[in-house]
Order: sequence, then C-alpha cells, then structure tokens
Amino acid sequence: MFRVGRSAAVAALAAAALALSACGGSSDDSNSGSGGSAEGKTLTLWHYETGNSAMGTAWAQAMKEFEASHPGVKVKFEEKGFEQIQKTASMVLNSDEAPDIMEYNKGNATAGQLSKQGLLTDLTEQATKRGWDKLLSPSLQTTAKYDERGIMGSGKWFGVPNYGEYVMVYYNKDMFDKAGVKVPTTFDEFTAALDAFAKKGTTPIAMAGAEYPAQQLFYLLALNKANRAWIDSFELYKGKVDFHGPEFTYAAQTFSDWVKKGYISKDSAGMKAEDMGVAFIGGKFPIMVSGSWWFGRMAEEIKGFKWGSFLWPGQFAPGSSGNLWVVPEKSKNKDLAYDFIDITMKKEIQNLLGNSGGVPVAADPTAITDAQNKELIENFNKLSTQDGLAFYPDWPAPGYYDVLVAGIQELINGSKKPEEVLDEIAQPYNDNLADIGN
Amino acid sequence: MNADRTFRQPGRWAVLAALVVLAVVMLFPFVIVTLNAFKSPAEYSSGGPLSLPHGLYLDGIVAFWDRVDFGLKLWNSLLISGVVAVAAVVLSVLNAYALGIGRVRGRLWILVLFLVANTLPQEALVYPLYYLSKEVGLYDSKLAVILIFTVIQAAFGTYLLSSVLGQFPRGILEAAEIDGASRRRMLWGIVVPISRPTLSVLLIFFFIWTWNEFFLPMVFLISNDNQTVPVALGVLQGEKMMDATMSSASALLGIIPAVAFFLIFQRTLTRGITVGAIK
Repeated sequence: MFRVGRSAAVAALAAAALALSACGGSSDDSNSGSGGSAEGKTLTLWHYETGNSAMGTAWAQAMKEFEASHPGVKVKFEEKGFEQIQKTASMVLNSDEAPDIMEYNKGNATAGQLSKQGLLTDLTEQATKRGWDKLLSPSLQTTAKYDERGIMGSGKWFGVPNYGEYVMVYYNKDMFDKAGVKVPTTFDEFTAALDAFAKKGTTPIAMAGAEYPAQQLFYLLALNKANRAWIDSFELYKGKVDFHGPEFTYAAQTFSDWVKKGYISKDSAGMKAEDMGVAFIGGKFPIMVSGSWWFGRMAEEIKGFKWGSFLWPGQFAPGSSGNLWVVPEKSKNKDLAYDFIDITMKKEIQNLLGNSGGVPVAADPTAITDAQNKELIENFNKLSTQDGLAFYPDWPAPGYYDVLVAGIQELINGSKKPEEVLDEIAQPYNDNLADIGN
Repeated sequence: MNADRTFRQPGRWAVLAALVVLAVVMLFPFVIVTLNAFKSPAEYSSGGPLSLPHGLYLDGIVAFWDRVDFGLKLWNSLLISGVVAVAAVVLSVLNAYALGIGRVRGRLWILVLFLVANTLPQEALVYPLYYLSKEVGLYDSKLAVILIFTVIQAAFGTYLLSSVLGQFPRGILEAAEIDGASRRRMLWGIVVPISRPTLSVLLIFFFIWTWNEFFLPMVFLISNDNQTVPVALGVLQGEKMMDATMSSASALLGIIPAVAFFLIFQRTLTRGITVGAIK
C-alpha cells in the first residue's frame, strides 16, 4: 500500500518552499507601501476621480498645497477604481491597510453603512471648529451626516463633500435655432418645445432606459407636483409616502404619455447612459436630461454644434453633494487628514474646481472665468438656495436602483399600465421601511 | 466521379461559410476594441463605436500606461500567474500521484471533495479568506493571492490528473519496481516525463486562468503597487462615467500578454490535447 503521509508532507513542503522563495522579493515592497506612515510623515490618500476631471485637478493642487504647508509630510496618493472601493471598503477599513483619508460614496448604503459599523471617524467637532458647517448649505449637509442607524440627514458628521451635483437639461442650441424653439422657462413652455420637435419628426429627449437617466426623469416629473415635506418623507423616511398619491401618479402617467407622443423613443428602453450621452454629443437629439457629471465631457467633446444647459423647469431637481472625504477610524494621521480636508474647502481650491468644470460648494462665483462653467455653477447655486436639491430616487432602499430601472422600462415598452408600475415600485420601498423599523 | 464531387461541394461550402461566420463573430469584439483604442475621445463621441479612426491616436494607450504604471502591473501579474502555475502543477502532480497511482483508500471521496471545492463561487470564499489572511498578516500581499490560487487551481489539477494517472500503464510501473526504483524515483523518472504533455497543458491553463482573475485579486491586492493587470483595468470604470477609448486601449494592453503567451505555447497545447497515454 502506498503511504499518503509522506507524499502529502512533501507536497506541502514543496509548495510552501516554492511560494516563499518566489515572492521573497515582492513582499518587501508591499510592506514599505503602507508601513511608511508609521512615523506620521506620510498621508495616504485614495480617491477615484480621473486625473483630468474637475475634482482630480483640484485635488492634485490641494495635495501640492498640503505638502507646502506641512514641511516633511509626504502625500502618498493612490488612484483607485470605483468598483474596488465600493466592494472592498469595509474590509480595507477594518484592516491595518486603511488609508489615512479617502473619497467615499455618500448615501445610506455606503457611507451610512460604514459609519454604523464604526469604521469612520466622527468629524462633528472638526466641522464646527473649522467652519465647514457654515460653508455647506443644509441640503448639502444632508449627505454628510448620519445617525446611529446609518441613515443620512441628521446625527454626526462622517464625511465632508467638496463638490455638488444636480440634474439639468442639456440642449443643442443649433437644433433649437433651426426648429425656432426658445429656451423654455416654465414647464408648459418645456412641453411645448418637446411637442414642436416631435411634430417635426425629431425625438426630442435622449434617453437611456437601462440605466439611471430614466428614473431621474421620472423623479423630476414627480417633483413637479411635490413639496419638501414629500421629499423628506420619501428620502429620509420622515413621513409616509403614498405611491398612488398625486406625485407618482402624475409622474408615471406623464412619462407614459411622453413615450406615446414620441417625446421619448420606444427604443430607448435598452439604452445605457453612455449610449445616450454619445447620441447627444453626436447631435442626434436636441435635449438630454441628465447630471452635471456630464458637463466636463460635453465641454471637451462637442465639436459640431453649440450647446448649453438650463435648469429643469420646476422648483426641485435630483441633486446632492458629491462624494465625501471620509477619515477611516484606523487612520494613523487623523490630524493631517483634517488639515487636508480644510485645504480642499479653501476658496482657491474650490475656484479651481469650478474653473475646471466641476460644481464647487464654496467657491467665489466672480472668480469663475469661463461663461459655461459660470452658468453651471450659478444654476446650482440657484437650485441650492431655493432648497431644490431633491437627492436621487434610488437612495431610499438597497437595490432600489434596479427596481426603478425595471419599472420604468415597462413604462417605456408600454408592457404595463402606469398604476401597475407604481404598485411594483411601492413594494420594495415599503419592505425596506419595515426592515429599518419605521 | 464528377457527379460525386458536385454532390460533395455544397456541404463543404456550408461548413466553410459556418466557420467564417463563427470566426467573424469571435473576432468582432477584438476588432471593435482595437478600433476604439486608436480613437480620440471626441472622435468616439461624434462617430460612435463603429466608425473608423481618422488617424492613429496613441495618447489613450500612453496615458493609460502612465496612469496605472502598467509595467509594474504586468510584472505583478506575471509573477503571480507564473508562480501559481508552477506551484499548482507540482501540487497537483503530488496529489494525483497519491490518488491516481497510489490508490489511497477513500480516493473517490477525496476527489469528490476536490470537485465540490472547485464549484464553490469565489464570493463565498472571500470573507473566510479575508479573516485568515488578516490573522496571519498576509492581507494586501501578493503571497496571499499566490497561495489562494495555487490551492484553487491545484484542486482542479488534482481532479483532472488523478483520473489521467488512474489510466497510467501499470506495466511500466511494475517493471520499474522490479528494477528497484523508489517511489520518488518512479514519480520524477517515469510518471512525470510520460505525462509531460498533460502537465504543460495544465501549466498553460493555470497561467491564463490566474492571469484573468479579477475578483479575489481586487479584494486582496489593495495597494496599487501590488495590483494585477485586470484590477488595474478596473480603475477606468467610474461611478457614472466610462472612458470608452481609454477602456479599449487598456483592454488591448490587457489581452496582448495573454494572447502572446497562448501563441508561444499553442503548439504545446495542441500536442497535449491530442497525445494519448501510450503508443
């Protein structure tokens, strides 16, 4: 009979020896990567914005200023992938490999979740001491604060946003001129404009039913019949939401009508946001209703026609603060991290963010030079001061994004009646309310 | 005879046509990726993914290379995949020698266990592996990924090799035993050389599979200095934005090494698949 014991031992030894000898060299540099902060001389910083985006540009400058004002401290910046941060944040922050400061997604399921697990540092004291609470408007602060259940809107500060975002209307000036359509200022004018294009055989709104744009338009329509109390009920669970109330009923009915009238193409059910953007940039649609995150790309890539943006005709629009700077509980250099956040909130950095095509939260509007950037920021400030930031429709419940995508695809396809769709999207929302004990 | 030929021809043409269609379908994504890798973002946005590039726009590839320090990522991938491939083959041979030739008691159940372990989704392994690696101080190190994948690949290798070695000609082994060869000698002097084609195929598969792994490396290789090529490609997918041209550039850079590796070893591959146990 063959003896296993010996062969297994040999196997284990051989494998171990091979593995060890092969990566002896590599484990050295992995140690120096994170171990450098032991003396408090390195600020490890992670974010996931592209280097040439508004945030990437402004933050690169902030790192330079930080190093200048903190002699002897080096910033060790690592650009991360969005998905990696999304999927691994709780694991990383629970280990000794946590960075000193990082960008993280705002929202209950992300920053809220981590704050509940005790992985983030409470920034309340810093926010009041350094005056961040004065720089940020109340609706921007909503996403910075989380209560003990991890729900945003009240409680302690766990993050600081540097930029804002909101949904607006991008339009193709050339197509508007050619059709003799003026920039609408009221909702009636807006529908009249859509009608004018549809009558000429042009589908006016570029749409993507497979991703977020459809639910944002749906939400915009509901918001036109809503008030702040309704938004607080829907987003922050401060009251009951009737899915068959006037807001959602109007939204579902109107959305369905717009498809029937040809304002929105029936083929858009399967489109992705990228397809929608490329179609608009390619000059195939006069109107695209989407977020400020497109702005930089529009500015860079639209060559063949003149374009502009205007606020959605109504008091509210989806929007909020951008992602947050958070300080992990295991950060080894919390004071340096606070200093860094403070630098990003300074006028110079905020102005740079605005001049690079982003939406700063504390910039000096007169310092913004480019006319289009100025328009973008002024519109945001207008929306923000009229208390118009209404957050996003997929925020209230985990997995709600997919529920909304599926529901609105049915509206576009016409495979279900508006009332049926409302029932469908009400169910997961109410289930979640029961889960969190409201 | 003439009639025979005309009778045969339509069938041949149909096969040819089917193969051509299949080849086009297979190559289409690569063509699209290559087309877009050499386009500027503005060209992509105005012309869409199918338009031809106006010129050779190399900035996307260069920018991506610099942005993620691609040379380092290549080296990491090469190191991890190489070590895993070799270690997993050695481990599989040793296991399979015991199970396939040694005829250990209960080997069927051991193999079933390996097979079940093989079908476990990686998502189920993540948390246990995370806690283990944190306990032993291997979190965020290449060694952790190497150990994990050596075991995962060896599980499949053991399963496959055990059944191959189970058919190993007894005569040869008996002859060697009569000549007084030790068990170790029999393994390295007889079993391994004879099954070399199978082992090379395993080696190549392990290398390519490990090279393409995304999920576990993403979880375990946190520092940018440790990341592999597929994880580095993930940097380009933003929250709401994707950079189609740079993604194509990076995808092209990402598949070139695997394709090159395959081309170099494809002779071994085809030989390994067709070779039988004895002639």
